[in-house]
Amino acid sequence: MIARKKGEGRMPKIAIDPITRIEGHLRIEAQVEGGKVTDAWSSGTMWRGIEIIVRNRDPREVWALTSRI
Amino acid sequence: MPDSGTMNSLAQRGVSRRDFLKFCTLMAATLALPSSLVPKIAEALEKKLKPAAIWLEFSDCAGDTESMLRATKPTIAEIVLDILSLDYHETIMAPSGKAAEKSKKDTMEKNKGKYIAIVEGAIPMKDGGIYCTIGGETALDIARRVCGNALVTLAVGSCAAWGGIASAAPNPTGSVGVKEAVPGATVVNIPGCPVNVENVTATIVHFLTFGSIPSLDEHLRPLFGYGKRIHDNCERRKHFDAGQFVRNWGDEGARLGWCLYEVGCKGPAAYYNCPTIRWNGGTSWPVQAGHPCFACAANNNWDAMGPIYSRLPNVPGAGYQVTADRIGLGLAAAAGAGVAVHAVIREIKSRSSQKKVKNNDRPEERRGKDA
Repeated sequence: MIARKKGEGRMPKIAIDPITRIEGHLRIEAQVEGGKVTDAWSSGTMWRGIEIIVRNRDPREVWALTSRI
Repeated sequence: MPDSGTMNSLAQRGVSRRDFLKFCTLMAATLALPSSLVPKIAEALEKKLKPAAIWLEFSDCAGDTESMLRATKPTIAEIVLDILSLDYHETIMAPSGKAAEKSKKDTMEKNKGKYIAIVEGAIPMKDGGIYCTIGGETALDIARRVCGNALVTLAVGSCAAWGGIASAAPNPTGSVGVKEAVPGATVVNIPGCPVNVENVTATIVHFLTFGSIPSLDEHLRPLFGYGKRIHDNCERRKHFDAGQFVRNWGDEGARLGWCLYEVGCKGPAAYYNCPTIRWNGGTSWPVQAGHPCFACAANNNWDAMGPIYSRLPNVPGAGYQVTADRIGLGLAAAAGAGVAVHAVIREIKSRSSQKKVKNNDRPEERRGKDA
């Protein structure tokens, strides 16, 4: 939820975490100046390393792992 | 007559009294209870106690959430959402960010020691737990707080039960299940990849009907769902016994629906009620659809039970009849021991009385990774 502030004062960075109603874990940060977003950052806040887990496995079974991303 | 709150709110969503009773019957069957207990289940659900529930997602793929939301009609989701007050669930809740975190905090404070925590996904322990954070907090810290103050924690899906896919070798994030991460919590493991939501619902229904969680085995799994071997309830079992195997994809045996053991089925080592409750309203399950079971509900299945299309390890290739008997005898003895142990610790009534009994007689259930 973005808080609005009257005037042109520089607002602190806004962070929305967790973003809900999506699959996965997401954090959005935004820099707001004068009521406008001037910069934004997004981060996926969960990592399991499926890319590392599938190394050296039987290629025939990799679909079963990657379909669970 | 359907005068209760539960029936009214279900009726508004098009769930009839008949659907509701069918659901109660299904739950009784899943729990292996006699049909004479159906009215007791219906009565308990109609009381609309609505215990608060917090559904946490950690290192997961939301597959267990999908499993719940895509259940059949009357959708189990409808009934679950009606018998529980699901106050926090990231995938379906309206608030985001701080407002979401506030719902969680308020629910915990209002219902301290009385709410049900449902955990989906593994908990990464490596490097201070940084591989999964929500609202700037690590999954481990959240689990300690939320599960530590819950009446009971349902670890749904194999990731929450024992680390699942996130903990597959080389387990890059040091992921573990809830019980390992928060040993003090009262945990019921309901593994599966994804979990079959009927097992989750049946556990909750048992709790609402009898005021206790169902009987558990030594791995904290409800016996009703995980007490039987897939192989023993498999519709293709007769082909195993007759030595009729699928040997190559698309061969004669595959067309005739023969046993999938040779192409990698792990049914002889997997404990799950998949063949009896099945999926999509009892329509089918992997083996019926022609794919070998890969023991998705077993501990460390990706390594101890893998690769998926290789025959079960340490089983001689010739003399299937002998092998079948040997497998059957060994596992029956192990299951017997499990039941005997279990009779002593029939139900977990309080956190302090909870014990984890190790049973090394089931080699397939052991964590093969570090051993």
